[in-house]
Amino acid sequence: MNSIFTLIPLFPLLGFLVIGLFGKKISKGLVGIIGCGTVFVSLVLSVYAFSGLIGGGEKSGNSITIHLFDWITAGNFSAPFNFLIDPLSCWFLLIITGIGFLIHVYSVGYMHDDPAFDRFFAYLNLFIFFMLLLVLGDSYLTMFVGWEGVGLCSYLLIGFWFKNNDYNKAANKAFIMNRIGDLGFLLGIILIYVTFGSIRYKEVFDVASSFPSSKPVIIAITLLLFVGATGKSAQIPLYTWLPDAMAGPTPVSALIHAATMVTAGIYMIARSNILYTLAPISMDIVAGVGLFTAIFAATIGLFQNDIKKVLAYSTVSQLGYMFLGLGVGAYTGAVFHVTTHAFFKALLFLGAGSVIHAMSGEQDIRKMGGLKKYLPKTYLTFFIATIAISGIPPFAGFFSKDEILGHAYTYNNFFWLMGVLGSVITAFYMFRLFFLTFFGKFRGTEKQEHHLHESPSTMTIPLIILAVLSVVGGFIGIPEVFGGTHWLHEFLSPVFSASDLKTLPKEMSHSKEITLMVVAVLAVCTSIYSAWFYYLKKENIPVADGVAINPVQKTIYHKYYADEFYEAVFTKPLNWLSEKFHKIIELKAIDRAVNFVGESVTWMSGQARLLQTGHIGFYIFAMVVSIILILFFKLL
Amino acid sequence: MNTIQSIHINHYILLSAVLFCIGVMGVLFRRNAIIIFMSVELMLNAVNLLLVAFSSYWNDPAGQVFVFFVMVVAAAEVAVGLAILVMIYRNTGSTDIDVLNKLKN
Amino acid sequence: MKTLYILTALGVIAMLAELFRFKKFLLPIVLIGLMGAIASSVRDWNTNIHYYNYMMTFDNYAILFTIVLCVTAFLWFMMSKDFFGSESSKTDHYALVLFALCGAMLMVSYSNMVMLFLGIEILSIPMYVLAGSNKDSLASNEASLKYFLMGAFATGFLLFGITMIYGATGTFDLRSIGITLKSPELIQVWRGAGGTTLLYSGILMMLIGLCFKISAVPFHFWAPDVYTGAPTPVTAFMATIVKTAAFAAFLRLFITCFSGLGNVWMNTIWVLAGLTILLGNITAVYQTSVKRMLAYSSISHAGYMLLAILAMNNHSVGSVLFYAAAYSVATIGAFTVLSIIEKNFELASVDSFSGLAKKNPLLAFAMTISMLSLAGIPPLAGFFGKYYIFTSALQSGYVWLVLIAVLGSLIGVYYYFRMIIKMFSSGTGEVTNIEISTLQKIVLVITILLSILLGIFPDMVISLL
Repeated sequence: MNSIFTLIPLFPLLGFLVIGLFGKKISKGLVGIIGCGTVFVSLVLSVYAFSGLIGGGEKSGNSITIHLFDWITAGNFSAPFNFLIDPLSCWFLLIITGIGFLIHVYSVGYMHDDPAFDRFFAYLNLFIFFMLLLVLGDSYLTMFVGWEGVGLCSYLLIGFWFKNNDYNKAANKAFIMNRIGDLGFLLGIILIYVTFGSIRYKEVFDVASSFPSSKPVIIAITLLLFVGATGKSAQIPLYTWLPDAMAGPTPVSALIHAATMVTAGIYMIARSNILYTLAPISMDIVAGVGLFTAIFAATIGLFQNDIKKVLAYSTVSQLGYMFLGLGVGAYTGAVFHVTTHAFFKALLFLGAGSVIHAMSGEQDIRKMGGLKKYLPKTYLTFFIATIAISGIPPFAGFFSKDEILGHAYTYNNFFWLMGVLGSVITAFYMFRLFFLTFFGKFRGTEKQEHHLHESPSTMTIPLIILAVLSVVGGFIGIPEVFGGTHWLHEFLSPVFSASDLKTLPKEMSHSKEITLMVVAVLAVCTSIYSAWFYYLKKENIPVADGVAINPVQKTIYHKYYADEFYEAVFTKPLNWLSEKFHKIIELKAIDRAVNFVGESVTWMSGQARLLQTGHIGFYIFAMVVSIILILFFKLL
Repeated sequence: MNTIQSIHINHYILLSAVLFCIGVMGVLFRRNAIIIFMSVELMLNAVNLLLVAFSSYWNDPAGQVFVFFVMVVAAAEVAVGLAILVMIYRNTGSTDIDVLNKLKN
Repeated sequence: MKTLYILTALGVIAMLAELFRFKKFLLPIVLIGLMGAIASSVRDWNTNIHYYNYMMTFDNYAILFTIVLCVTAFLWFMMSKDFFGSESSKTDHYALVLFALCGAMLMVSYSNMVMLFLGIEILSIPMYVLAGSNKDSLASNEASLKYFLMGAFATGFLLFGITMIYGATGTFDLRSIGITLKSPELIQVWRGAGGTTLLYSGILMMLIGLCFKISAVPFHFWAPDVYTGAPTPVTAFMATIVKTAAFAAFLRLFITCFSGLGNVWMNTIWVLAGLTILLGNITAVYQTSVKRMLAYSSISHAGYMLLAILAMNNHSVGSVLFYAAAYSVATIGAFTVLSIIEKNFELASVDSFSGLAKKNPLLAFAMTISMLSLAGIPPLAGFFGKYYIFTSALQSGYVWLVLIAVLGSLIGVYYYFRMIIKMFSSGTGEVTNIEISTLQKIVLVITILLSILLGIFPDMVISLL
């Protein structure tokens, strides 16, 4: 009976094959039905698997392993192709198929006029297949297969719409960065195999649990895996591909570059939690990189004027929070944040897509404004998502972020402080985006204004469902301090309990916990107020590109003392920092390093080809010289 | 003890090696394709000589049989090689190997 | 063994076709004959028969490689129907290719150095002619001359090596050589006569001769030029069948005879493999002509396969067999697409593939699968080929070489993906009215399916050995 779950990934694959082979011959409606339908079947099956796991109730350690076939057997090495359904993979199944289904439905409306409608759905289904494979596999090898597969689909979908030459650069960048990450991951897998003699999770973790802490080989493995995670999940230093990946259609950004694929790195580390627990140094590095990315990306987000770029940097920043959570041992918190983030970030992207759709492709927020009355449903849902990401209770983002921050506090007070700073910045730029888009006067052309309309219901219904989830999503993990039982923690405990025993912090008193929450929420509220004050009350619009800080700003500067304060303490240093990060670290150091690798290979290639002179005489001469060298070294 | 075996085997090896090297030098330094063919033939004949010498050294006829195979193959190779040269001579009017170097890099 | 008779008979029939005027039916006859050849090989499974006083051994090793060769040849005949076009030399081409195939069979089933030599020559001499079969094209002439001159030169070294080993051991028989070299007391006998130097230089000379045939750096110089100049179907034949046969011969020789004398040749192959992988991949990056890019990529694949020979453990045979099969299938697919595109372009550059996905999805899909498989992207066959080879090399402790190989395949991914990106980019519209014959369509579908199936069930092939 369990074998029915093998159908979960097979249905999207079937969808891919049918649409890919016959897409041109069948109508758009049928393509849409097949694309959404196959994912829906997977969703139903995932829910069925999930109910089976909950039904297991008391003996909640139960997990299902489905043996499909032996993939490779080479000597004493064997890699059976198995599916593993345990709480962690099942939870990800729900996220992938659930959000995936909503975004498929949305895409039917969004992509309706695109000539390559069928190709888009074929790719999207293929992506879902690989993503499911990634989380369902019971060994690192299967995960790697899915890992490469989603990379390929992401690559194909980024380039789906390219019209200019910048695409080539963006594609190359995404490609090279992911390759560096993949190389780390692959080396990590090889090292795991060499160390443990297996690459199946169960066997690896069984052996590992008897290892002493801080063994060098474990540190090496965990760091290599983390390199893989930084590539796929866009962490420093391999993050710059993600903002560029926004070249793809918006549903792709929502599905792949916000809700699912980029969280593969989190899944991988959460899955390997037993290894990471054995390597505290790696945990520190994961937490540090995550925290730094969270703040770094958030400051860049302050300065962006492209609606999707803001969201992209915000994704990088939120992913940073998840890594912070993993690093401080809050595995449940990280998975919790993956979940809520999937809800509100997918909602934000889809809302942005709805806005772009209405604006006929315009993405610059300086040309928007006052969209509230034209797009009421989009406005409302976007508002909910913005609150959720800012971490205002009782919306979803609050609970998950709070759990991570709470763990961070017990781990290191400074981490908590920086984390709160990050969420203050997040709230500021998100509300800046929100106010500039939906309030004030419309700043676009008349033609655009005339064209403004609410999106069709295939697009707004997914928005509404996601908005509901963004409101109530946090209730699956209400902490004890509010009288909850933290259901998600219970559910995932079979996977994380072994690590929790070792890393879970000393209990915090409830009063202290409440104090921390209140401080965080107050800080965020102040930040929202200042965004409101600066962008809505004073109606500041970010200056056009290339114009230096202008006299208008100077006037405000003199009139309001508060402004001066914010400007000096908050906006200006952050703007400066944001600009410097962007210009110096991002463009100069990271981009240059990546370009250098590519250029040096091309250069070597240009030199190497000169060996091939075309003269037989030279060829024979080179052969004879090599023969003499070989004989000389081997015989004398 | 016959005449072949009366000479020490090392001398045969040396002679063949020298002949072989002369052949290699010919291939290396000449530019005319026909002379290069001849040099390759010289290399093969050096091998034949050595095979016969070893055959007699080990009292084993297989080496001499192999020589016949080598000779047949060499004849076939020359036939094909000359045909290729005729084709090239018709197209370029030259048998210099440096005339043809369009395929490169 | 009947396989060899069938192939020889097919070659003779092809020559008779001109005389008795059944040229039209030649292709079906050849295809049916090849199927018969495959069937008769399968029937010999596990029989291990020796022929002609141990000149040839038709063991499972030979049977599996024969099947790979015959299947590749089957696909090759279907893809290159146009090569046999309407010109008068049609039957000659059939005969030459079939006899070359006989040579390849000898190379996978020999158990005597004489047969190795004959096999290599029977394979090479028709190839010299076929490379120049486009008589009016200077490029084809040049390819033929270069291949011939350098091939004959390398044959000299191979022969010299065989002779020296004969001088040191007194036999051409592989098993006897293997036994002699493994027993220390026998080694004593000829050490007095300067035998060690003789033996060692013999091994190295044979190594050099064989490295030329598989186009390992620095004996690769002929390959890019010959591959570019020869007619595209002939290039496909050289890149698949010739290379597979040469590797089978290489591996059999070194496993049966020289596995105990690793200190003589292993360092050399280590360096050659590293150089081959790096130079092949790096130079391919620069190429704009697809044919030349595939030539350099085929050089780099030879480098990966050298790893398996170097590993010299009980996985070597399986991994080389699987790699050769995966590589041949993908290469045939790529060359089929290339030969179709080349009808519009004299020498198809990477740019002439732009927008292919829109104009002809089947071609683009087949090419994508081939490129992905060659690049070693899971779950396609090429990935497992690399995987088996790398693990078997790791088991023998060649960590650094495997790192070089991984680095090389990362570079490889760059130029393979460049093709894919081009095909899926918005087109310039240069390629017009692509015509694909039914046979070519069948070849494309078969290569796609094989690449995927071999990737999903790699165990089925490996477990045969």
